[in-house]
Amino acid sequence: MQATKFQVKLYTRVGDIELEKLIPVFHEWIRTKKISDELLIDVADYAHVPQGPGVVLIGHQSDYYLDVADNRPGLLYSRKRGFEGDFQAGIDDAFRRALNACQLLEGESSLGLQFATNEVLFRVQDRLVAPNADATYDAYKPALEQAASAFFGGAPSLERIGTEREPFAVRITTGASGTVADALARH
Amino acid sequence: MTSWKEQLGDRIPDQLAGEVDLFEGQIELKMQGKLDDKIFAETRLRRGVYGQRYDNGLRDDGTGQKTLTFPCGDLTKGPDTVWDAPGMMRIKVPFGKLTVEQLEVLSELAEENSDSILHVTTRQDIQLHYIHIEEAPDMMRRLAAFGITTREACGNSVRNVTACEYAGVCTTQAFDVTPYADAITKYLLGHPDVQDFGRKFKIAFSGCEDNPCGLVTFHDLGAVAQVRNGKRGFRVVVGGGLGAVPVQAKVLAEFCPEEELFPLTQAVARVFARLGEKQSRARARIKFLVQKVGIDEFKKLVADERETLRPDERWTAFLDDLHSTDEKPVREAGAIPSDAPAGFQAWAKHNLKPQAQDGYYSAIVKLPLGDFTATQGRALAQIARELTGDSIRCTVEQNLTIRWLSGADAVTFYDRLVALNMAAPGAGTITDMTSCPGTDTCKLGISASRGLTGELRKRLTVIEDELHPAVQALRMKASGCFNSCGQHHAADIGFTGVSRQVGGRKVPHFNIVLGGQWTENAKSYGLVVAAVPSKNIPKAVELITGHYLTNREGEESFQAFMARVGKKEFRKVLAPIQKAPAYEDDPSYYSDWGNPREYTIGDIGVGECAGEIVPFVEFGLQEAEQQLHDAQDALEAGLSATAAAGAFNAMVTAAKALVRHLEVQVTDDADDVVANFKTHLHDTELFHDPFAKGKFATYLLKMHGDHSYEDADDEIAHRTLDEAQLFLEAAHACYQRLTEAAAAAAAAE
Repeated sequence: MQATKFQVKLYTRVGDIELEKLIPVFHEWIRTKKISDELLIDVADYAHVPQGPGVVLIGHQSDYYLDVADNRPGLLYSRKRGFEGDFQAGIDDAFRRALNACQLLEGESSLGLQFATNEVLFRVQDRLVAPNADATYDAYKPALEQAASAFFGGAPSLERIGTEREPFAVRITTGASGTVADALARH
Repeated sequence: MTSWKEQLGDRIPDQLAGEVDLFEGQIELKMQGKLDDKIFAETRLRRGVYGQRYDNGLRDDGTGQKTLTFPCGDLTKGPDTVWDAPGMMRIKVPFGKLTVEQLEVLSELAEENSDSILHVTTRQDIQLHYIHIEEAPDMMRRLAAFGITTREACGNSVRNVTACEYAGVCTTQAFDVTPYADAITKYLLGHPDVQDFGRKFKIAFSGCEDNPCGLVTFHDLGAVAQVRNGKRGFRVVVGGGLGAVPVQAKVLAEFCPEEELFPLTQAVARVFARLGEKQSRARARIKFLVQKVGIDEFKKLVADERETLRPDERWTAFLDDLHSTDEKPVREAGAIPSDAPAGFQAWAKHNLKPQAQDGYYSAIVKLPLGDFTATQGRALAQIARELTGDSIRCTVEQNLTIRWLSGADAVTFYDRLVALNMAAPGAGTITDMTSCPGTDTCKLGISASRGLTGELRKRLTVIEDELHPAVQALRMKASGCFNSCGQHHAADIGFTGVSRQVGGRKVPHFNIVLGGQWTENAKSYGLVVAAVPSKNIPKAVELITGHYLTNREGEESFQAFMARVGKKEFRKVLAPIQKAPAYEDDPSYYSDWGNPREYTIGDIGVGECAGEIVPFVEFGLQEAEQQLHDAQDALEAGLSATAAAGAFNAMVTAAKALVRHLEVQVTDDADDVVANFKTHLHDTELFHDPFAKGKFATYLLKMHGDHSYEDADDEIAHRTLDEAQLFLEAAHACYQRLTEAAAAAAAAE
């Protein structure tokens, strides 16, 4: 049995974000089918929750959060349904979709957002198949290294974070200084 | 481990495990097109799996209604409800109580299956949104492993039993209502007498008359603790409700002794099931029945029904140990440090309540719009584990109350809340507003009640300290439509979403309801004063509170002021802001709070709150079909005896459904079912087939008599299955004849 609920977060380069500005942007993405191969459904506004999920673009296959957890704003891609291909393809796809959303957000002039590529948070929201444990880390490490290296270049450094009550999470330090567009172009 | 079912194994109580397995089987059948839409809809609703806005597959994107092309194609999970559309799971939390582990597992589910947010409702439930139905069974298993069921959280059933969050630690209670709320929750869950309602049925408990925590007056049935001559009992009220026309509950019994509470409730349920409206949802709540027959006649009906009830030991068994629900603090009692910092003092002013037990406090965690994150939930659980124990309660004001906090730990507790961004002060003040989901997720929402509440909260929080104490003390509540889930009728200042047409375009508005009374269990309801454009509501609040402060006499309360000056005066106050500007002058009025799309009411769907009207007998027959299906599987697996026993049980289930359809009391015991079936359906020839006469009935009667299904070999199992199949066909035909006869009789009248 293979986990599918991968999450990939890339952090913004700036600290403060006006979350309300995301709401019309995400509504417009639904209207124009901005992410053409996904069904986008709704926008959930949690801007009132401190250090919460922020504003969420709800989709059928995936959700996209402008998440402000830990006071570190970023784009959080969250897959909800299965993917095509093998395990590595699934992880690569999650990285690609997260980067693609970052690039789209950077293109929204009303937001003035830029995303950093030197750090990535990877999580699996499936405690049954991927508990936050060393064994899970051992199983995921090669695929995460490969994906991070393919998108950001160099040799990434990985660290499992969180407790066993929390979802499996890995902080990936890429050492990259390039743009989101660079990362997408590299892979 | 490959599944949660396997992983959790025997941690799940057998009954709950069976129910989840059954639901999973029904999902499978629905996917195969073998289950009727209405039946499946009511089935999932009764398990707390609810629809959400846009689940009809249509959504207005501001330029017109568009189809959401879900991959499921034509597959539905109810009438006009697309299979793949995200839904909401309502999780019953009886009297709002959560243990540490329960809060942890809820937080896990919020992360894995929802959007990381847990939402506390005005009836002490937890709701998770954007759920996919196929993930629901495993969610239910994980909840069941920690003693939580979603069963009957929605649908035409007894909803979550609520009670004041201070029960047991309150300084004004007559006694702790917790064990009564707990026992009646368990007693009524799945009880046959509460399965055939035309609408939902809500029960609330209050420990005293004066405080608002239980809000019994707007419940279908409310019980207020009383002690008379040293004897415990309840003042029982019935037929209260909010909705478009709010009704105060009527007194059913001035003093119902504790041992009579359950039979009285059961008798009320039976009267409601028998005489309540079933066809028109709009008039199907018990308040309409009480209005129709009058409270005196209703009392008589209930008293007569009470006489017919068979005694049940569960009515009083729990009274032997009324301390079974007591909470145990994990820390010694203590005093609050005298040198507590200023931030703590400001928070403690409204968020910390002394308990009846010296040295202990209840701390209110004020939640923005009832929301908290999974991360916060997990951290809060850990704080409770260390400092208070299993003492968490969801409140009707959409907050969390943590009880049994030692005064000595209060500052530490506060500091840890600060670290979690959960130390907002002002619980129970004007900044602590409640709201239903409104247009954010509800299919019935007309206006954005959450958007409005969020906006008001944001503006008022900035000036909170500068507000006059009389204004600080006011309560505001918002509902997205007339169904009143935000309980706006009981607020000083309430809002209910409405739509108005201006220059050919729709403009979101809110009706302003003034003067409701939250105290004394929501003793009186407010009056609609005026409809104001949504975008003018912040200004309206400013005008209303300003008018009150300027013109009140002495310490006059808002309710008294409202009663004295009347609606007319407030209409004058609000008149300047009642008209929306033309679209060309200010288009912002033509969209709602937190939603930039041009406003429309085209997204309103058919609410599932009312549930599907599916007679109980149909559920029974459906269950029998499932049992027979399982028996056939068992036979194919070579389990002859299991198959035969299953087939017999299927017949008993079908027979029970028909017996109950005739309003005959019957237990789950096969002997009782068969005896009643013989008396009321076989001997009366109601079950007789026009051609085969009593042949099919004898399959059940004979099998019950000779126990031939026990230890059956392959041949006997085959025969038993064949007979059961014929019996079920006959049961369906019998039900059809009974229905047609009833319709003909009604037409003749």
